[in-house]
Amino acid sequence: MSGVTSTVLFDEPGPRARRRIRVATVLGVLAVIALAVLAVRQFAANGQLDQARWQPYGTWPMWRYLLTGLWSTALAAVVSAALSMALGLVLALGRLSPRRWVRGPAASYVEVVRTVPALLLVYVVLFALPRYGLDLPLFWKLVVPLTLSNAAAFAEIFRAGVLSVERGQTEAGLAIGLTRWRTMRLIVLPQAARRVLPSIVSQSVGLLKDTSLGYVVSYGELLYSGRVLANYNGLLIQTYIVVALVYLAVNLSLSKLARTLEARQRRSSAGLASPGRSSARA
Amino acid sequence: MSVLLDHLPELWQGLIVTIQLTAASFLGAAVLGVLVTALRVSPVRVLRAIGTAYVETFQNLPLLVLLVLAFFGLPTIGLKAEPLVTAVAVISVYEAAYIGEALRSGVNSVSKGQGEAARAIGLTFTQSLRHVILPQALRTVVQPLGNIAIALTMNTALAGAVSIVDLTAAAQRVNLVEAQPIPIFVGAGVAYALIAACVGFVTGRLERWLVILR
Amino acid sequence: MLMKKIIAVVAVSFLGLAACGEASSPAVPGPSKSGTDVIGQAPVAAASDILPGSTMEKIKQRGELIVGGSLDAPLLSQQNPATGEVEGFDAALGKALAKYIIGRPKVKIVNSASETREALLSNGTVDVVFQTYTITEERARQVAFAGPYYTSGLTIAVKKGTSGIAKPEDLNGKKVIAGANTPAIPAIKKLAPQAEIITFGSDPECLQALTQDRGVAYVQDETLLIAAAKKDPSISIVTKPFTVDPYGIGLKHGDDQFKTFVNAWLGKIQAAGVWQRIWKDSIGTVVTGDAPQPPRIGSVPGS
Repeated sequence: MSGVTSTVLFDEPGPRARRRIRVATVLGVLAVIALAVLAVRQFAANGQLDQARWQPYGTWPMWRYLLTGLWSTALAAVVSAALSMALGLVLALGRLSPRRWVRGPAASYVEVVRTVPALLLVYVVLFALPRYGLDLPLFWKLVVPLTLSNAAAFAEIFRAGVLSVERGQTEAGLAIGLTRWRTMRLIVLPQAARRVLPSIVSQSVGLLKDTSLGYVVSYGELLYSGRVLANYNGLLIQTYIVVALVYLAVNLSLSKLARTLEARQRRSSAGLASPGRSSARA
Repeated sequence: MSVLLDHLPELWQGLIVTIQLTAASFLGAAVLGVLVTALRVSPVRVLRAIGTAYVETFQNLPLLVLLVLAFFGLPTIGLKAEPLVTAVAVISVYEAAYIGEALRSGVNSVSKGQGEAARAIGLTFTQSLRHVILPQALRTVVQPLGNIAIALTMNTALAGAVSIVDLTAAAQRVNLVEAQPIPIFVGAGVAYALIAACVGFVTGRLERWLVILR
Repeated sequence: MLMKKIIAVVAVSFLGLAACGEASSPAVPGPSKSGTDVIGQAPVAAASDILPGSTMEKIKQRGELIVGGSLDAPLLSQQNPATGEVEGFDAALGKALAKYIIGRPKVKIVNSASETREALLSNGTVDVVFQTYTITEERARQVAFAGPYYTSGLTIAVKKGTSGIAKPEDLNGKKVIAGANTPAIPAIKKLAPQAEIITFGSDPECLQALTQDRGVAYVQDETLLIAAAKKDPSISIVTKPFTVDPYGIGLKHGDDQFKTFVNAWLGKIQAAGVWQRIWKDSIGTVVTGDAPQPPRIGSVPGS
C-alpha cells in the first residue's frame, strides 16, 4: 500500500511547493530523530540498555526457546485459520441462502459472536466447559475460541466477496441450466475468492495476533514463551521488546505477501472492478 | 441468575470501566487517526513514510504485547500514568492505525476532481482537506469506523492483563469466587452485545444523517 | 482453487519460518545441573510393589510419568530455556517419583492452568499433579491427595522504606498486588477486605509493578518472595507467613492403591534424605539454613 500515492490532494509540485516540501522533510526527519534519541536516552538512564540486560538475547538457547514458541504460535494460527475459514464459508453461504431457517441462525451467529470479546470466549472454554465435562486439551482451549470468533469475521469477508460478484454472473449460470449450488461453486465463489484475498490475509494477520491470548490459557505460544523466559531471567522489558519485534517481523512478512498477491491479482484481472474490501477486524 | 444480582456492584463497576475505556480510546484513536491520515496523504514523502510506518507497526503487533510493554516499559522512560490512562493511550495508539487506514481509503475514494476544484479556488492543503475532502471521505467511512468501534470495544477486554478491572476481568473475578461460569460469562457477553448494538445504532443514524446532508 | 493455493502458500511460509527454528536445534549444552545426581541416588521401587493392574504398572509400561505442573514457577517448577529442562522442587520430586516407578527419571510435564487440575486428573490426562497444590477438604472431594510433601505460606513484600505494613490487616485501604488466579486473592479478601487488589499474570510482572509503585505491597508465596528479595535489594519482606498451605500430590480420586504407593515413596525419600537434598538444591538456594522438617504424611484434613 505504501506504493499507492493519493493524488486527490495535490498536483505536481511547483518550485515553491518543492522548497516547502524540502523544509517539511527536514523537520519531519528531525522530529523523528529527536523523539527516538529522547526515548533511548531515558531508557538508557534507567539502566535498561545495560549490556548485561541484553546479553541473553545474543545467545542461541534463548532464541531457540522463542522460536519454539513461534512454532506453536504458527501451529495454532494455521489450524484456527483453516477451521475458521471453513466455518466462515459455511456461515456466509448460510447467510446468503434463500431459506429463512438457514439464513436466520447463520446471521445471528455472525452478529452475536462479532460483539463478544475473544477473551470472554477463551474464558468460557477455559472455565465453563470443563464443568460440563468438556475439558479440551490445552491447544484446543486456544484454537476453539479463536475459531469461533474469527469464523464470524471470515463469514462477513466471504459474504462481501460473493455479493461483489455481479448479479449477471449468477443469472447466466442459472440460465445455462446449472443448479443454484453449482452456480455458486463454479461461477460465483471462484471470482469472489479472488476479490477477498487481501482481506483474508489481513484477517489472518489479525488471527495470528489473537493467538497471543495463549498467554491466558498457558499455551506455549510466543507471548507465553516470553513470559516463561522473563520468569527465568527477570528481564521483563527486554523480553517483551524482543517478543514484539518477532511478532512484527512475522506479521510484516505476511502483510507483504498480501500486497504481492493483491498486486498480482490486479494485474491478472486488469479491467475488472477493483476488489471489494471489507474492513478487517482490528 | 442470582449470582449476577449478588455481584451487581462489581459487575456494574466493570461495565463502567469498559465503557470509559471504549469511549476515551475511541476519541483518542479518532484524533490520532486523523493525524495519521493527514501524514499519509501529504505531499511530503518523508511524512507519508512516517504515516505508513505507524500504520504498519501497530497493525502488525498484538495489542496484548503492546499493553504489557507500555505498562511496564513506559515508566522506565519517565512516562508513568495511572493504569487506566496508560491503557487508554495504548488502545488509542493501536486503533488509530486502523482508523488511519479506513480514513485513507475514504480519502482516496473522493474523486480527484474534488481536490482539483478545491485547489482551483485557492484553498490550501489543510483547507481543502478540512472543508472539501474529509467531509466527503467521512461519509464513506462511517460503516468501517463503526466496525472499528465495535472491535475496539472487544479489544478493551485485554486491559485486564495490566490490572484494570474491566467487565471481562470483573466477570472472571466473580467466577473465581462463585464458580458459576455460565450465568456470569453469558451476562457479560450480553452486556458487550448491548454496547455493540448501541454503536451499531449510532453508526446507522450517523450514516443516514450524513447521506441526507449530501 | 486459487484460495486453496493461497492457503497452502500461507501455511508453507508459516512452516518455513518455524522450520528455521526446528531444523537447527541440536541441543546446546546448558549450565550443568546439580539436580540430576540427587535423582541418581533416589530409590527405585521393588518389583513386588508394582502391583499387577495398578496405576503404577500402567505408568511403568508406558515408560513415562505424566505430571501436571507449571513451567513458570521459579524454584518450584520453572523451565530453563537454555536446556528445556524443568527445574525446581516440585519438578525434581516428579522426577524422583518417575524413577521410583519406572527406574528412570522420565517425566512429561503437562502445563496445567491451575483451574483445570481436577479435570486433568479425573479424565486421566495426567498421572499426578505437582504444582503448589494446596490440600483442602473441598478439593479432596474431587481428587485424592498424597502427602502433604511441603508446607508453605503467603507473606507480604514491600519496597524498602515502606512503613505501616507489618501484618495482613494493615493492607486495608491500600493497593495490593497479587498474581492473577493465585490463592493470595481470597486470602487478602478475607484478612483485609478493604484492600484494593490489583492483579498481573506473572511473578516478574507483579515485582515490576511493586518497584514501579503500582501498589504498596505484594502478597505471594514466601519462597517466591524470598527469591525476589535476594535478587532485588530494594524489596523487603515484612512478616512471617500468615497462612499455612500444605502442598499435596494430586492423584485421581478413589485410586487408594496408588495413593498408598505414593505415600510410601514419599516416606522413603524423606527417610533417605533425598527429599532434603532436593530442597537444598532448589528452595535451599535462596532460603538459608537446613531443610525444614517435612510435614507428617496424612496430617492434613483431605490428605
